[in-house]
Amino acid sequence: MTIPHYPSMDDANLARLARAEPDAFAELYRRHVQSVYRYHMAHTGNVHDAEDLTSQTFMSALEGIRSYRGAAPYIAWLMGIASRLRLRFFRRRATKPEVPLDAALHIPTPGLPTDRSAFQRLERTRILNALKQLSSDRAEALILCFFSELSFTEAASVLGKSEAAVKMLVSRGLQDLRARSSIALEMDYE
Amino acid sequence: MNKEIFDQLPADEQPVAAKLNSAADNMKVPQDFQWKLETQLMDAYQNKSQPAKGWFTKLIAPAAWTVAAVLGFVLLNWTIRSIIPSEQAPGSSSTAIPSETFESNVRQGEICEGPLALAHDFSVYVTNQDKTGFIELDESHAIGELRSFAWSADGQLAVVGNTTGTGNIFLWNPTDNSLSAVVPNSELGYLMDAAWSRDSKMLLAWSVQNNTVVYLMNSDGSAQKEIQLGMYISTAPQFAPGDQSIVLYGSNSSSFGLFEFSLDDSQIKTISNFVEDETGFAWSPDGSRLAYFEMDRDVGEARLVTEEFESGDKTTFATLPIPKGSGSSIPDVANLSWSQDGKFLVFEFGRSASDRAIYLANADGTGLVKLVDSAHAPTISSDGNCLAYISNKQAFLLDLKNTTATPLLIADLPAGRSTSDFRLDKLQWKP
Repeated sequence: MTIPHYPSMDDANLARLARAEPDAFAELYRRHVQSVYRYHMAHTGNVHDAEDLTSQTFMSALEGIRSYRGAAPYIAWLMGIASRLRLRFFRRRATKPEVPLDAALHIPTPGLPTDRSAFQRLERTRILNALKQLSSDRAEALILCFFSELSFTEAASVLGKSEAAVKMLVSRGLQDLRARSSIALEMDYE
Repeated sequence: MNKEIFDQLPADEQPVAAKLNSAADNMKVPQDFQWKLETQLMDAYQNKSQPAKGWFTKLIAPAAWTVAAVLGFVLLNWTIRSIIPSEQAPGSSSTAIPSETFESNVRQGEICEGPLALAHDFSVYVTNQDKTGFIELDESHAIGELRSFAWSADGQLAVVGNTTGTGNIFLWNPTDNSLSAVVPNSELGYLMDAAWSRDSKMLLAWSVQNNTVVYLMNSDGSAQKEIQLGMYISTAPQFAPGDQSIVLYGSNSSSFGLFEFSLDDSQIKTISNFVEDETGFAWSPDGSRLAYFEMDRDVGEARLVTEEFESGDKTTFATLPIPKGSGSSIPDVANLSWSQDGKFLVFEFGRSASDRAIYLANADGTGLVKLVDSAHAPTISSDGNCLAYISNKQAFLLDLKNTTATPLLIADLPAGRSTSDFRLDKLQWKP
């Protein structure tokens, strides 16, 4: 018997195996948990919500792994699930008061000296606040490409747009950030 | 960083993109959460794979178990009543009840004598006389953070402190609970840890800013030297027996692992490439053996190895299973230490603070037992009677002569200066 070497397999083959083999699903999870977590973190700005939505995303992926046919890249399929869960989360939360971003981001980072982790928190707060100033499709394109590290093709598949349209959204989003946000102010001083 | 996209951007958009990349890089998935979710997913996968059961199967199995449980309970009850005399002396039972004798002996200092030091949430403490609480060092918080500490063989306590990124080592004076700086006008960077030479005359420390260097000094701060290692320190450099070399977990140009660096000729010797971060290593009290864990991801086992210092002979005397493969989801081992008589080793093994247990191993390789679940930072008292550990933000003492008895609570962990990872928690008895 040959034991499959999961780390060397591409996502599509792993996803096929994952219908019957838990280790293949675990490998897919390890590959993409960072992308999904960062996606939810960028949207919610809150570790607890990001963890909750990441759990829901992978549980849904596990439930639906048999329905994945390989028409789009696996990561695009997975981020599609993440996107739907995120929309549902914000719809439900619309009736509840939002946790202030500054408070929500006060999360200790294990193993880092305090001053450095505080600096990282501040930087993250500033950038997530800046993303909130953008139109939703531009912010979504930036988050998919820079936080979840999707390619233009993969992001296009998640957003249901052409690759050229995603490139345009990213470009406009970056220009907006440069022109209007606190990130631009900081860079002007550098 | 998404380099593929970054490279396609016009030059004027790249600085903003770099900011986004930097923010993304700082959003790491919390390790505890990642482990927990993977376990939940695998459980859910297994449940999903169970064949569907009909209503008859679903009902008959629970019913059968219920009947069996009731019968078992009746039988057990009858057996116990027939064995135990009707009037049993209190405290003579071996069931899990707190031992009054153990508590009394601990409180009066007849066993498990001497202070127990604790590092928690960037503060350092020692236990009070009767071990019912912790006394904070640097109560006035004149030093920004107290990150760690180290006891010398002759009982001196060195504390690693940092004030706005400048580190120093402080010696504790138990008479007035004061700390005195070892290095006058220190310009050392943020210090991570310190260790004593075996003769208690020298200290070594290393900083996060310059982790290719160790700082050596006499315990009064004199004769300070910077030693370039030519490799990166990841955790815990310690003097080897004889104080002529140091052992550390780190990386050179080609690999990570446990290394020995000679202070005489700067030669580096690889001890093991299977040793991973957090794993820890510990010298036996007589300095003859080095114990460490090897994490073999190909075979899927964590091996507790001891190596003879003189001959280099290795013996594997305990193994624990770990998942195979190169993923990050393997448990880690930490706080490996020996009992003073060299007969036992204790360590913690697991994924998160709750999914973590304390194990005790015979140093002759004849046994390995799990002592406490959901616990970390174990350390054995110098008389071998007590195991101190942390569980659920409380410090406990376990009677090692009666490990089924309820552990004795020392105290809740005090609230420190700022919250740190549980992996920075450390307990250690004064030798």
